[in-house]
Amino acid sequence: MSARKLSGSSGLLPRRRPSGRKALLATLMLVVAVASAFPLVWMVLSSLKTPAESMQVPPVWIPGTPSLDAYEKVSGVVNVGRSMWNSLVIASITTAGILVTSMMAGYAFAKYHFRGRSLLFSVLIATMFLPPIVTLIPLYRLVGSIGLNASLAGIIVPNLANAFGIFLMRQFISGVPDDLIDAARMDGASELLILYKIVAPSVAPAIAALALFAFVYHWNSYLWPLTVLQGNADAYPIVISLSRLLSYNRGAMNTGLVMAGATLAVLPPLILFVLLQRFFVDSIVGSAIKG
Amino acid sequence: MIERYRASAGIMLAPAVTLIGIFILLPMLLTVWLSFQDWSTQTPFASASFIGLDNFREIFGPTSIGRDFKGALANTAIYTALSVILILPLSVAFGLMVYQHDVAGGTALRTVLFSTYMVPMIAVALVWSKLYAPGEGPLNQMLGLLGIGPQPFLSSPRSALISIVFLNVWQQVGYFTVLAIAGLTQIPGSLYEAAKLDGANRFEQFRFITLPLMRRTLLFSAVIAIINAVQVFEPVALITQGGPVGSTNVLTYHIRRVGIERAQGGLGSAMAVMLMLSLIVVVCALFALANRKDRE
Repeated sequence: MSARKLSGSSGLLPRRRPSGRKALLATLMLVVAVASAFPLVWMVLSSLKTPAESMQVPPVWIPGTPSLDAYEKVSGVVNVGRSMWNSLVIASITTAGILVTSMMAGYAFAKYHFRGRSLLFSVLIATMFLPPIVTLIPLYRLVGSIGLNASLAGIIVPNLANAFGIFLMRQFISGVPDDLIDAARMDGASELLILYKIVAPSVAPAIAALALFAFVYHWNSYLWPLTVLQGNADAYPIVISLSRLLSYNRGAMNTGLVMAGATLAVLPPLILFVLLQRFFVDSIVGSAIKG
Repeated sequence: MIERYRASAGIMLAPAVTLIGIFILLPMLLTVWLSFQDWSTQTPFASASFIGLDNFREIFGPTSIGRDFKGALANTAIYTALSVILILPLSVAFGLMVYQHDVAGGTALRTVLFSTYMVPMIAVALVWSKLYAPGEGPLNQMLGLLGIGPQPFLSSPRSALISIVFLNVWQQVGYFTVLAIAGLTQIPGSLYEAAKLDGANRFEQFRFITLPLMRRTLLFSAVIAIINAVQVFEPVALITQGGPVGSTNVLTYHIRRVGIERAQGGLGSAMAVMLMLSLIVVVCALFALANRKDRE
């Protein structure tokens, strides 16, 4: 009995027949991981195949002679460099804007007491649950009427502030001790300086998490850019260029080309995630528990 | 509060409140207003003319406009319900796999599961349109190994919508797994120790400790899963265009087609208002259900 208690089981899944149960669990976990990873692995493998291999029946799973031809060809069909640059510009500027507006508003909601604070906060948070399609039609007209349609600015400007960022920042800034802020005020520091020099360093991991979320979300975003750009190909982000590869998607011959394009679009967010996943996971866990 | 900080609060809030006000709250109010107007999306807001409830009568009426909208509403409801029904139990099961300490590799599994959430939906749609290829496609090849005949997947009205549900579940389940893990970490280990002393088996521990204490997490997950599910757009826009025979015509796709592509802004806004109302009703019902269970 005591030996079992000391065996370090989490208590969630206590052991009875250790070896058989462990083997079953390990097998299940492997199956889940393989099923989850398979589509992306298949995407990369297919991008390395030659057109002949793509068309073979039964299909070739692993390319015999991996080639980068498909990557070269996809650049001839859509302007990959330009699109990747557009995506980078859209995601970077939007992220920077979200960080500034979220930190400022998050600080105000966490550290100031003013009339109507909880009402204003509730109204802003409610927008977090509003599907974008609900506002799409008037927003399209609105952005057009201020002359921003068919441009990168039209994609970026409406997204420079969002409720999720404000919520996340308020949660974490609430944990910064008031004494720290008051001491800086005694020294005559302005509120913006305090936010920049005192508060921001204290919540750096949350800022990193928000930056990653915002960057990935806006790199991947499709509905709004598609709507606002009205076919201005010069401003296409990579996801829209990628969707135009579809006309090459009929039949198996161009599978490699399409998958090469998909791989290029997937790489930046996936690399960011793998490098910095700790922040992603911590902030989801943090916002879910504290919320 | 000291006057100085009142001014500071204004300055700190101004950028976010102005942007959200202009680009989210104002358009939301405009959507509601436009739903009572006859208005073309290609004309200024000032050209709208009030027509009462005509837009709503039309989208629920017997014409093709009504049939298409009611079809899209039903498709979205089915799609959302199936997504939630699949995602919630899977997220708890996967969460338990990651959270347990008996077998190593939990964190690696979490990384693999969550990585799909980072992939742009357009790429997901492209990859799955190939995996789902009828006849000799990769998924049919694998089903063949299991002795299952080729499936039509996206090319049959009977299976197209559920095929998109699977694609959605594959992409999103990692995110909900992380939420489930967050919920599991909140359950005190002492409860399981006590239950074990009382002779509760593993299933009873799950049924009477894990599940009840996960209710708040599951409620939160359900709300997020519903909000995410009604936004499904890319696979429909890219692969099926709402077909075959309208079987994948979902609301986000349909509202955009009516309100932007056909420029019928009034009709599209009425549909958007119905989507908003449906969401409010469903979410309130979920909370009411959870509260009633809490009192039991």
